[in-house]
Amino acid sequence: MSAVALSELLGAVVRDASGAVRGRVRELAIAPSDHPTRIAYLVVKTDSGDRMLSADALKACGATVRAENDVDAWPKHTPSDGVLLLKRDLLDQQIIDVHGRKVVRVNDVELDSAPVNSHVVLSVTAVDVGARGAIRRLVKGVVPSFTSRALLDRIPPRVIPWQFVDLLETDPARRVKLKIAYEGLSRMHPADIADIVEELPPAEREAVFETIDEEVAAEALEEIDPDIQVKIVESLDSERAAHIVTEMDPDAAADLLGELPEDQSGAILEEMTPEDRQEVSQLLEFGERTAAGRMTIEYIAIPTSALVSDAIDVLRAFEGTREALATVYLTGEGQRLMGAVPLVSIAISSPTTQLSALAEDVVSCPSDTPDDEVANLFDKYNLLTLAVVDEHGRLAGIITADDVIAMLRHRR
Amino acid sequence: MTAATTTPSSKRSLRARLLAFLAVVGPGFITANVDNDAGGIWIYSVAGAQFGYAMLWTMIPTTVALVVVQEMAARMGAVTGKGLSDLIREEFGFRITFFLMLALVATNFGNIMAEFAGVASSLQLFGVSKYVVVPLAAAFVWVLVVQGTYHSVEKIFLMASGFYVCYIVAGILAHPDWRIATEATLTTPAQVGFRNYGHLYMVIGLVGTTIAPWMQFYLQASVVEKGITPRQYRASRWDVIIGCLFAAMVAWFIIVACAATLNRGGVTGIRDAADAAQALRPLAGQYAYLLFAAGLFNASLFAASILPISTSYAVCEGLGFESGLDKKFHEAPAFYWLYTALIVTGAGVLLIPSFPLTHVMVLSQVVNGVLLPFVLFFMLNLTNDHELMGEHVNSRPFNVVAWITVVAMLGLTIAMLLTQL
Repeated sequence: MSAVALSELLGAVVRDASGAVRGRVRELAIAPSDHPTRIAYLVVKTDSGDRMLSADALKACGATVRAENDVDAWPKHTPSDGVLLLKRDLLDQQIIDVHGRKVVRVNDVELDSAPVNSHVVLSVTAVDVGARGAIRRLVKGVVPSFTSRALLDRIPPRVIPWQFVDLLETDPARRVKLKIAYEGLSRMHPADIADIVEELPPAEREAVFETIDEEVAAEALEEIDPDIQVKIVESLDSERAAHIVTEMDPDAAADLLGELPEDQSGAILEEMTPEDRQEVSQLLEFGERTAAGRMTIEYIAIPTSALVSDAIDVLRAFEGTREALATVYLTGEGQRLMGAVPLVSIAISSPTTQLSALAEDVVSCPSDTPDDEVANLFDKYNLLTLAVVDEHGRLAGIITADDVIAMLRHRR
Repeated sequence: MTAATTTPSSKRSLRARLLAFLAVVGPGFITANVDNDAGGIWIYSVAGAQFGYAMLWTMIPTTVALVVVQEMAARMGAVTGKGLSDLIREEFGFRITFFLMLALVATNFGNIMAEFAGVASSLQLFGVSKYVVVPLAAAFVWVLVVQGTYHSVEKIFLMASGFYVCYIVAGILAHPDWRIATEATLTTPAQVGFRNYGHLYMVIGLVGTTIAPWMQFYLQASVVEKGITPRQYRASRWDVIIGCLFAAMVAWFIIVACAATLNRGGVTGIRDAADAAQALRPLAGQYAYLLFAAGLFNASLFAASILPISTSYAVCEGLGFESGLDKKFHEAPAFYWLYTALIVTGAGVLLIPSFPLTHVMVLSQVVNGVLLPFVLFFMLNLTNDHELMGEHVNSRPFNVVAWITVVAMLGLTIAMLLTQL
């Protein structure tokens, strides 16, 4: 096994079975449908045009590339969408470092050439994003290769192992062929995905949101800066956008739709199921900078007569965000707000306890309460959630602390 | 795709168009105005003082050239969403980018020094010592950019651009001969002028200061930062055009002001931009003098605020270092160190008593001239790349104009270098 860098291979002399120099390496190609890391063929620039040298015919790979067959056995190069070209698609391009959770630029690609039987197998091991790859390319052809190797060995490497690399590809058809699914990215925390997406150019952002799972996309979208949020949703087709918006918190979805041009938000609402649509459009009608505009309608409300065990059943079945779980609201006749029970009280009480026995005074505000006042209430009473009631004292929705923090931060 | 695809443009109300324009105004306007920095103001003042109205004809062709080049940068930013150094790196590789960035740092360092020198000399007119002014200005610039957000800083920069109006007021206060000035702007000069070495030298100076490499990097980056989309681009183009027209108008009034006063009064030797303000005092009155001095201070501080940050962004993005003001110091050390070093050394050298300022500035002009052809060549190459620009590639007539512009710019820049060596 020996390591070799892409920049060393590019331009390397290629000799065929007779030992004669036939050309120079121009590209290295991986066919992800056959093998995710192995090089499928080399593109060699010969006197008779570009030819494809199959990796199976490689005898040695280093400063000189040796093939075990003759130049006539190398087919003419035909461009294909289904292969990943290391120089064109990877070198100098941006990739997502899944492990380091950021967007980085590729300085060089590290390969491994391992002897198997009589030939060598060449596969990608890592991408170099540090000074070593940069300097190697800077001094290539200027400094003798043994000197540069000695110099480069002293530089601590900064590489990303290949399995932690997510490629960025804006062409959807090619993404499918190259099996680019942003798996690593999807496993990250939504807030980290949001940070990465904010750094990407628009086309790449769109590519990510077209590809990743709808639920992950929705969570990540909620964390993204509102201006960029709007741009991303505008760029998606309305069906895909509707699927993502449906998965979002209704209040976040309403905020987003409120920012979109009317024809677009209309088209997205059209694609949603009637229930989802009703939920979101209800929220859309409220003034944006009031309690009603900030609230979510996914909360837990239970009749005052219920027991702790009933509350636990409702908690188990609850599909809204976890932030909304902090408080269980008690309602009387006609949804009138009667009290609130903190989750903690439920957790430490026996299942047969009456909820009304655990009820605490409830802090609530009318639906037209301005943002400032909402923030004051959270501060004054150290709230995790705040109930919003309509003019008849009925529970209309709740505001969660994370939304208040976001609101305060965006106002700066 | 344009905005017209959603609503037929004929039906769009004036108000809707105005709103669309206001949403994208900023990058083009700011970039064109920063170009009228300490060095530019000095050249315009000398042109007016030495040749009177005779140099005004250069304003129209240089404005056309400026619009053509700036439009390409803005279009690339809107269509690709990437900065110029990113694109150069992706299309032309690491080695070329590395040397390009090295040259950019070298020439911009010289520019930054010139701007701080402008700040110092403008306030020296009011009797404030440069040992006080320069450190304060450097600290101001550092804090403004690091503490501000893109939107708040852009507002400040737009105000600074608006402040250039004071040169227009000064021009009016100088009571020029409007008829002669207009005629001189619209007619090319008699043949005899070109055989005059001094005349040619001045033409080269005027044109040579018009298009600088840093502007392209800054403009494209701020179009990206502002999030302008291909759909909004039509409105954004007006930002570029109006910005260039305003900047050209400011230049025109500086020349006119100096022509009407200094040239008529026989004052032709002007060492720097502050000197021009000083010379105006007895000839054009106290107000014109104050406006010139204040204008110089504004222009220099403005450019000094933009150059270091734009250089740091371009270099770090091109070479793949973490960059961005939303990052903490330890997350993007190269970015912050470069930014800080450019300001500290750019301002610091002015405080060294025997520092060969002029020599270093001439040297940076040379690098500027060497860098410019490469940058313009790369820009033309990129804007003609179908894979990158899609339907927004240069049209054939545009390419003809752009190539003529580029070749003319190159010829004049090289000529300027030769005259300086």
